[in-house]
Amino acid sequence: MKHAARLVHFAMPIAIIMAFCYAPTPDLHGETGRLLFFHVPLAWTSTFAFAVAGCCAIAFIFRKRLQLEAIARFSVEIGLLFTILATASGAIWSKLSWGSFWNWDPRQTSIIMLMLIYLASISLNASLKDHPSRATIVSAYLIIAFVTLPFWIIVFPKIFGSLHPQSGSLVADFPTKISLVCSVVAFTLLYLTFITIKLRLFLLYNDEAHIQ
Amino acid sequence: MKNTKRRFVPGGLHLGREIIRLLLKDIRVELREPNTLLIVASFALSTTIATAIASGGVQIGNFERSLIYWLTTFFSAMMSMSHSFTREEERGTAFFLHLIASSYAVFLSKLIFNTIFFIIIQGIITAAFLFFIEGLVASWKYFLLIAFSGGIALATSSTILSAIAAKSSTRNALFPVIALPILLPILIAAIHATAESFENYKMLFPREIIFFLAFSLALFSISILIFPYIWNSE
Repeated sequence: MKHAARLVHFAMPIAIIMAFCYAPTPDLHGETGRLLFFHVPLAWTSTFAFAVAGCCAIAFIFRKRLQLEAIARFSVEIGLLFTILATASGAIWSKLSWGSFWNWDPRQTSIIMLMLIYLASISLNASLKDHPSRATIVSAYLIIAFVTLPFWIIVFPKIFGSLHPQSGSLVADFPTKISLVCSVVAFTLLYLTFITIKLRLFLLYNDEAHIQ
Repeated sequence: MKNTKRRFVPGGLHLGREIIRLLLKDIRVELREPNTLLIVASFALSTTIATAIASGGVQIGNFERSLIYWLTTFFSAMMSMSHSFTREEERGTAFFLHLIASSYAVFLSKLIFNTIFFIIIQGIITAAFLFFIEGLVASWKYFLLIAFSGGIALATSSTILSAIAAKSSTRNALFPVIALPILLPILIAAIHATAESFENYKMLFPREIIFFLAFSLALFSISILIFPYIWNSE
């Protein structure tokens, strides 16, 4: 994971250059359409981070290794950061396309609800600070949050109908597709870099015997 | 870590007896001190009456009526759903439950108790709402079905969250914080479906009911799996 994370130093500049210089200007949105190369990867990475948090929480419940719980907790924190950035970039795009920053589109509602769910997990973690079973209880909550994730991301926008473009509808030509893929890879590597740094700090502050 | 496998898979008949015994215990305790029931019923009544007075006899729109109905229901759930687990932790009786019953029996008995309790609360809310808030209900059948299934979905989904919140020292403040975002899909779907039942005489079977069922089943399945770990944590 450490070596994969280092790739971000190459992948991120390439993704930025491709987004501004290689990808053609989108017909529908003009230059503002280049937000696609940042908004979509941010949203993807935040969902990925929350999914990793859920998987690590499941693994922690069964294996009781504190490292897994730490990865789940860090994924939530980093996922929240990406969610805030995705919401901000989405709001700017919404203003440029639909005329207002916020209009309670089901996709906007979903992302704000995910933010609330994972903020609640941080509150739960803080309220159980000295509890001997803090890690187990927080992991249990993260598993429940993980179960609701598909409802917010897939089911909810389908039930209420969203103005938000569906995946694939904005990406038509090959240069746009490849630039978007590069950007998604770069942001995923950025997430891995953050996790690696936080995990190294966690291992430095906690002695090995305690973690095992 | 405590031994979570000791009572992990109890026999069906034995489990059934344990559930009934714990359920009767909870009902007996609730009837002895019906404080929570009275507080939540008072809250529901005062909210509904306050809304009716504030509207000053003016007929409220269908969507707004649905909003008032479900917000009252939702916050009544927030007030009442955590009390069965909280009571065990505050009175120190959770320890004795560990000795006499399996974690499955504890969870299922609390789930059934919460569902029965919430159906009673929702009955009071629905009666007060229909009596005080003036307006038409076009499809009675679907209004009652949505109210019933939405209430069961709220009770089912919030039981595991109340078990989590009960472990914290700030349990009363924490429960709404962790439960609200998880339960919001039910609330949003219920508001839309109820508003339609108020105005549409030829309403088709609402797909929101399937959504309630899917959501509750997903949370129920995961709750059954993870509850022993929460319950047996120190």
